[in-house]
Amino acid sequence: MAKSSDGIHILQGLLVFGNVVIGMCGIALTAECIFFVSDPHGLYPLLEATEKDDIYAAAWIGIFVGFALLALSILGIVGVIQCNRTLLLVYVILMLITYAFEMASCITAATHRDFLTPNLFLKQMLERYEKPETDSNSDNWKTERVTETWNKLMPQNQCCGVQGPSDWQEYTSAFRITHSDADFPWPRKCCVMNPQESPVNLDACKLGVPGYYYNKGCYDAISGPMNTHAWGVAWFGFAILCWTFCVLLGTMFYWSRIEY
Amino acid sequence: DMIPYTPTLASSSLLGRTTTSTFVLEQPRCVFSTMENDTNIIIWLVVATPEGRWVNFNNSLGPGTKARAFQMFPSDTSAYMTLGTTILQYPCLKNPGDITVLRVGSETSCAKNNSRPTCNGPLPFPGPYRVKFLAFNGSEPVAETDWSAPITLKEAKAYNSIPTMGSRHSGGMIAITTILSILFAVLLAGLLAMIIS
Repeated sequence: MAKSSDGIHILQGLLVFGNVVIGMCGIALTAECIFFVSDPHGLYPLLEATEKDDIYAAAWIGIFVGFALLALSILGIVGVIQCNRTLLLVYVILMLITYAFEMASCITAATHRDFLTPNLFLKQMLERYEKPETDSNSDNWKTERVTETWNKLMPQNQCCGVQGPSDWQEYTSAFRITHSDADFPWPRKCCVMNPQESPVNLDACKLGVPGYYYNKGCYDAISGPMNTHAWGVAWFGFAILCWTFCVLLGTMFYWSRIEY
Repeated sequence: DMIPYTPTLASSSLLGRTTTSTFVLEQPRCVFSTMENDTNIIIWLVVATPEGRWVNFNNSLGPGTKARAFQMFPSDTSAYMTLGTTILQYPCLKNPGDITVLRVGSETSCAKNNSRPTCNGPLPFPGPYRVKFLAFNGSEPVAETDWSAPITLKEAKAYNSIPTMGSRHSGGMIAITTILSILFAVLLAGLLAMIIS
């Protein structure tokens, strides 16, 4: 048993408390990452098509790190209370491995979040939305999913294009190849629809009469959830790691003070 | 006779005022007021390119002839006539809040159909164009308005020209990376100290 001085008892108490917090944060991290991976806003196909979907990989890592933190925190509590040097050594080593993974997740989420600019989504939309099917199959599924996502996104959020309907006028696009400018200055989904899924007034929509088409861009509806997702993973993970750093330093100090 | 009216583009609150192949004009309401009750009069819209030589424009070339056919524009003729409507469609009295416009370029179905020379087909290039209204009684031109100011349509840039690189790393990402790396290094050092001692 350790030297029975108050200092050691206080340290024990602090370490147990630290581990309890780590355990709870692990559960919270898992829950948060499961929420993000479930993609409640249906935006994953847009990311997938850009091939910069690593913020999802970061969330997946977060799920497993959360479980690991929970398990290891229990191990840590047991090791601290029993003053068992072996257990604590195993605890420190496994915690460091988990720390490395979580670090990778945070940095990935933060880095890839920086790639998500309006121009990225604009170019992808112009390139892929309603692109006619070609013979080479490799990209068709991406095109289909991007088209499906945009067709769902625009009526749902009452928006059109990335910065507005004039995206379709200012730039050429795959959409323009199959839909003439005179009939479709912007996609039909940008028109205000009645409950029967047809435009309230098609001519007014084509003319651009305010109130018959959606004037605002969808970028906010896309970047809002994605930023929340990326920053949620990155900063919460960062906070957990800072706390874990303190607990681990305390554990190492405690380890050096107890005897076999 | 000359009617001192200049055709204008519709109000700028309409987003589709000019697109890459259409444009929207205000209807010539209250313009041909001296002839309002003559049902034989048909008002035509003339769309011309700068080569149309506005100064010596030949008004008597009627609508529906090859010289004024949409399908011959702009390669074989420098102007075409379309949107022929009786004067009754442009009454002086209009309800406030009504949008009275003419969309030039909206008929895509007859654009290549030579049997429809007065087709209101989509404009083939960004312009500039000038327009005027010409009133015909039978096959005689009876009144005309001024030529409008030059109308230029939108030109679309290639989507490949959109720059997607240039994503600078934000401050947050740099902070996270450096701080976490330092903390990790300290922990590894601590582990080494634990094992060695």
